[in-house]
Amino acid sequence: MTSFSLGWRVAAMAAVSLLAACGERTPDVPGQRTMATGDVQKAALATYVKPGDLDEYYLFYSGGHSGQVSVAGVPSMRHIVTIPVFAPYPGTGYGFDEDSRRMLGDFTWGDVHHPAASKTDGDYDGRWLFVNDNANNRLARIDLRDMKTRQILGPIPNTMGNHGSSMVTNNTEYLLVATRFSAPLAGNYEPLEQYAALYKGAVSGIRIDPQTGTMSVGWQIMTPPFNWDLGATGKGPSNDWAFWTSYNSERATGKLEVTASQRDRDYIAIVNWKNAERAATGNATTVSAGVRVIDPARAPGVMYLLPCGKSPHGVDVDPSGEYVVCSGKLQPTATVYSFAKIKEAIDKRDFESEMEDGIPVIKYNSAVVMEVPVGLGPLHTQFDGRGFAYTSLYVESAIAKWKLPPYAANVDPKSLVVDKIAVQFNIGHLVTSHGDTRRPRGDYMIAMNKMSKGRHLNVGPSQPESSQLITIGGARMEMIYEAYTDPEPHFAQLIHRDLIKPIEFYPRSESRDRNAIWAPDGARVTRNAARRTVEGKVYAIRSYFEPGRIQVQQGDTVILHITNAEQQRDEIHGFGVVGYNKNIVIDPGETKTLRFVADRAGVFPYYCTNFCSALHQEMQGYLEVMPAGRRLTMYDASGVMRIDGRAAARGVAAANARRTPAGSLD
Amino acid sequence: MRLLPAPPMLQRPVVQRALLLVAAGLLVAAVFLPLWGMTLVSVQYPEGLRMVVYPTYITGDITEINLLNKAIGMKPIFNDYFLELKVLPVAFAALALLCVVGAFIRRAWWSLLSLSAMVALGGFGLWSMRHRLWQFGNELSATAPMTIDPFTPPMIGSNQIAQFATYSYFSWGTTLPLIAGGLVLAVLWAQLGTGRRPNRQRARAKSVSELQPARS
Repeated sequence: MTSFSLGWRVAAMAAVSLLAACGERTPDVPGQRTMATGDVQKAALATYVKPGDLDEYYLFYSGGHSGQVSVAGVPSMRHIVTIPVFAPYPGTGYGFDEDSRRMLGDFTWGDVHHPAASKTDGDYDGRWLFVNDNANNRLARIDLRDMKTRQILGPIPNTMGNHGSSMVTNNTEYLLVATRFSAPLAGNYEPLEQYAALYKGAVSGIRIDPQTGTMSVGWQIMTPPFNWDLGATGKGPSNDWAFWTSYNSERATGKLEVTASQRDRDYIAIVNWKNAERAATGNATTVSAGVRVIDPARAPGVMYLLPCGKSPHGVDVDPSGEYVVCSGKLQPTATVYSFAKIKEAIDKRDFESEMEDGIPVIKYNSAVVMEVPVGLGPLHTQFDGRGFAYTSLYVESAIAKWKLPPYAANVDPKSLVVDKIAVQFNIGHLVTSHGDTRRPRGDYMIAMNKMSKGRHLNVGPSQPESSQLITIGGARMEMIYEAYTDPEPHFAQLIHRDLIKPIEFYPRSESRDRNAIWAPDGARVTRNAARRTVEGKVYAIRSYFEPGRIQVQQGDTVILHITNAEQQRDEIHGFGVVGYNKNIVIDPGETKTLRFVADRAGVFPYYCTNFCSALHQEMQGYLEVMPAGRRLTMYDASGVMRIDGRAAARGVAAANARRTPAGSLD
Repeated sequence: MRLLPAPPMLQRPVVQRALLLVAAGLLVAAVFLPLWGMTLVSVQYPEGLRMVVYPTYITGDITEINLLNKAIGMKPIFNDYFLELKVLPVAFAALALLCVVGAFIRRAWWSLLSLSAMVALGGFGLWSMRHRLWQFGNELSATAPMTIDPFTPPMIGSNQIAQFATYSYFSWGTTLPLIAGGLVLAVLWAQLGTGRRPNRQRARAKSVSELQPARS
């Protein structure tokens, strides 16, 4: 009886277990860490920047296909300002005034991927920030003194998809860029069937003027039609060298996800940019679209290829400049090469028997140090300056922390990965503080994720990108904050605030605009009846425009030079013309020019668009566009417009205009 | 009423000369130093807006202060508006000259004249400052965007005007002439104690007689 009932009990338990096993059960998400209450409190304190306090780092992150760059503070992750670069931005009047319109040309968008801060001696110097436009093959320079886009270069010739860009050399001699898509040279047409033979890639050296930061196309190196992906500049021993990864060494067309994923190895291009600079003046060049294009097959010492894991994405150089890390993307390893070994292989001509279009291929085994099994979908690597590397894992949605060489003999590669942290979700780039310089700070890291998948308040199908702040100062990585960064961050630069010293207004003494005026008395509107133009110098200050009435004839071209005469921070004035689709914004001490054709008759108010004072609403005027046939009433015989109500402002005008030698009144 | 005798040190001619020359020097120096200042602080201007009055000009964040004052209809502050800025350097120079001359002639009446001129100028200065503060706070434009009650900022110390906390203070350009006045007063005291300019021969004779003990 006892044995019977025991048998039944066992049978019943087995049945229950079986039933349970048949039911659906969701496995735990791999790699998740839950935060203990104590960790939450620690994270809150580590990221809370109380009102009025300043963040420690500037995060300059690319805005992807928004075409802009954003600035956030770290550790608070607060978005502070957007710097418009490749797209109009009414918030700062960018793309409306003549200077920015001229810079943008006919383009209305760009695709910003990789900001690169200027460097001195391999570390950021806080002067300029360069960004690439993957879409329209351009580069832009932001001056960090006023955080304004000051130059747009391009479209760069022989470039289609300026992706492997932009990397700054250690003393900002060059910005090194590469074409992502290969295409016939000089923008010519060749049938796609001729891809492997007639399409070419190019990597380019963009010269940077050491004083002004002005960029100009220096030279280009013609390459086989691979897809150049990402790049890095060397440091220290590898100072004169640059590295780019490629995919599609198959030289395929069609559905690249298959056709370009056939070979087990693609290449890293290794370019000696100093040799390229020399070769650009030599015989191994042709001129294409006005640029010196170097044929690396005929210019020895300029370019080498190095096999790398299948379809690699990021290539990064460690702070010492001794190790080059290539992320496999389609293979779960980060491959570490020794620059010393690369150099030795080059010196000994330790090359594969077959070249690629005359470019020597270094033997993989001669240069490799280790394939570190970091995880699935490795993309980019950053550094902490303490001998560790951090590689983003797209597929795994994680970051692996691993040890850089030197390694003990017979070390277990698996043991090199010392920590891993899950991110939400599908990380692309990651950035550590000064993480691509010779002196990483090793405190913060930001994971810039491609997907947020509903971690936020539901904002509908157009979901934002999440960026997550992780501390890397301790033995383990700790996630402490998460924010939603304007679309779509790719790479970023995390720069200590001590290095960046922007001005707060444009000092009057630095004004070089010949149309600047500093007192309402200087306001003047003249009309050239023959040329049908009305040109005016307009004065803007709290809280009026001088003149407050501008009369033009329908069809006149109106050119207004507006000076914001303020010398006080944050006293920004806008100039919006109702119904004319115009708005410029002028910072204190700045003069901007607005130009448009007054093609519609009527009366159109203009007003200050950027809130300036208690009397901001009153800061307005009228643009009278007289219909054809109505005579202008405000102009004298010489075409000078009368300005009414000048006396009212004269008192303050006198005070502002007068300067005494001993001590000025401004 | 008998005057308390000045300390012997002060009675020495060289000391009186030195003091008067120092007073002249202080007056000349004062021309280049700030007389008076006012600092305004508000939530929007935590670092403060400053107005500093020198004997020859007004400096500081005047443009900004004028822009703000415009809203309440205050007159704009600018150098040429103030006759004082032309008078003061000349007056300081004149006083310095009085002191220099006094150092040479060392007459009590001259010192008294110098001191009176200094007191008069000081009085005028205070009156004019008081008047200007009243004027700028009270003669507000009738067409100003904002109407506020007329006010007179204090010459010294803290005050609140609309959203601004203000602090007014005198500076070295005022202090140095005050010290100069004190020096002249000290010299005058010593001079009055001896009645008149000490006769050089008599003084010498006296000192000689002091050196030689009287024979009995």
